[in-house]
Amino acid sequence: MNTSHQRWLLEQLPQWEREGLLTADAARTLRERNAVDDSQPGLAQIVMGALGALLIGTGLIAVIGYNWDDFSRPVRLLFAFLPLLLTQLFSFRVLQRGAASSAWVRETAALLQTLATGACIALVSQIYNLGGAWPDFLFGWFMLSLPLVWVLRSHAVAIFYLIAIAIWSVNQVGHGRPWFDSPLLYPLLLLGLLPYWPGWKNQAALSISVRWAMTISAIFGFCSVAVFVSARIGDSYGYDDQSFLWLWTLTAAAFVLFPLNRNGIEEPTRRKPQVVLGSLWLLGYGVAATFHDVSEDILSGALHALRLPWCCGLLTVLVVFVLLAAARRRWAVLAIASVALLPLLSCPFAQHKDGYDGTLLSWLATLHLAVIGITLIVLEFAGKKGAPRLGALLLSVLIIARMADSHFSLLAKGVAFIGVGVAFLAFNILMSRLLKQKQATLV
Amino acid sequence: MKTLPFLIFGIAVLAQWAAPLSQIWTHEQVLANGTLIKLKCSAPDPYDPLRGRYLALRPSQSEAPVPAGGELKQGMQAYAVLTTGADGFATVSTLSLTPPVSGDYLRVKTGYVYNDKARIDWPFDRFYLNEKLAPEADKWFAENIRSAQGITAEVRVLKGRAVLADLSLDGKPFREILKARVK
Repeated sequence: MNTSHQRWLLEQLPQWEREGLLTADAARTLRERNAVDDSQPGLAQIVMGALGALLIGTGLIAVIGYNWDDFSRPVRLLFAFLPLLLTQLFSFRVLQRGAASSAWVRETAALLQTLATGACIALVSQIYNLGGAWPDFLFGWFMLSLPLVWVLRSHAVAIFYLIAIAIWSVNQVGHGRPWFDSPLLYPLLLLGLLPYWPGWKNQAALSISVRWAMTISAIFGFCSVAVFVSARIGDSYGYDDQSFLWLWTLTAAAFVLFPLNRNGIEEPTRRKPQVVLGSLWLLGYGVAATFHDVSEDILSGALHALRLPWCCGLLTVLVVFVLLAAARRRWAVLAIASVALLPLLSCPFAQHKDGYDGTLLSWLATLHLAVIGITLIVLEFAGKKGAPRLGALLLSVLIIARMADSHFSLLAKGVAFIGVGVAFLAFNILMSRLLKQKQATLV
Repeated sequence: MKTLPFLIFGIAVLAQWAAPLSQIWTHEQVLANGTLIKLKCSAPDPYDPLRGRYLALRPSQSEAPVPAGGELKQGMQAYAVLTTGADGFATVSTLSLTPPVSGDYLRVKTGYVYNDKARIDWPFDRFYLNEKLAPEADKWFAENIRSAQGITAEVRVLKGRAVLADLSLDGKPFREILKARVK
């Protein structure tokens, strides 16, 4: 239940008590279970605070962009440092007031200081006609802003940091860069933010907007690492796309299996973007692997990637995550994540003197996805938590994929497609009726 | 009152001041004590969303000789040894991996290396102008593109560092020429 739902429930409780729908004890229990932490900013507060700060900050940058070349250098430098000083004093005051400062004021202070820092660096480089690439400027800016996330617990600056490190990492993909100037730095940069240091253990769960920003940032960051380590060594400049596609898949599996505490596991899937996006990639990859030609490319990429140290590191992390997920009985995510390891299972049998034979992998992928689809449906009918519609969708996609690469006539394919469509719609109607029956029984 | 957040905040504030101040210190040193060199260049007018309008400086010398048997590769840091000709303009006479013992030099990044030459990635590539003057600069370049007139970049150089001090044309500051055209 999210904060707005909890607030609504707390508002209803007095009336329900008056109407005799709830006893005083039951109402108290509900109040305790759904207590709203008002120190966490609401979405509207963040948006309004951030918008105000953004407008001021952007205005400041635009004023700087005008380039006041009629003024002397010291005067222009004063323009650069004065807003920085003022925003620092504002943040200090907010920090001093501690819990007495409302959440949106904290957000505004942090974001203003971040923008003033960027504007100051930009103006200095304008005054001295400094060249240099914008990623270097961005790197300096987000590093100088990171401590504000820690001390002011600013979600807006955290989101800025997450976007900035992802952009920086994607831009650093290039041949011959040293590790400290390459996307390999991304995991360390992400680690700098992860727990919103200091006092991590006492902090509340991350808001949904930060979770989505973190997941999307991590996707871009880790994918750029995968591309960087897949650089071809030799005369030709380029990247081994088959290798980094498998590395992306291993990364997606790590996302899906990312360790969660009991509360995290019980949250609805839509509040776990790493599971949603990771599963989507893995299922798409699995379906692609069912095609014979694609599976040959996947095998060749996987075998090449196995020689890379980054791949070994990813596999080690995956093993740890698999063990933790098994201990928590997260069978559904384990089943989906296992799609990433299918190329490893088929590798020993697929190599021959002319290359790789993808037959075994394509059959394994088909079988594996079919089992997942059937299991998701059966679980629901067995009275456990399943995902029958997703299961049915997976089976339908598999049938369509097999028909697409079969040698049947167009007529046979057409009839099969219509059959699958009708079956899918019928299943959907059946599930809707079952859901209604279930709700009627509960009432 | 918890001390740790204030400590971190204090360090952050110091760093936010130190980063631009160190840049200012370095560049003021170069401007005050550096040798003035002149380079022939062109400079069209692009736009930076954060820092406003600027002229993208393109020195006419884009590559320099590499000593035979040198291990210079693309993307490496190198030292460009500067020689001033009879016309008063400086050129890069050679690139080396170590700074020369005497004379003026610049720290540069090398681009594509082929035969005995390497492309130079100059450490200064922008001359900021205000948004009234920048379009005028564009017009000026359009009108003078076929003439022999070239812009001169006045650069201060000190211990491998360079700061672009001004752009000039026939000894007159280019900014003043543009201002006169705007009036």
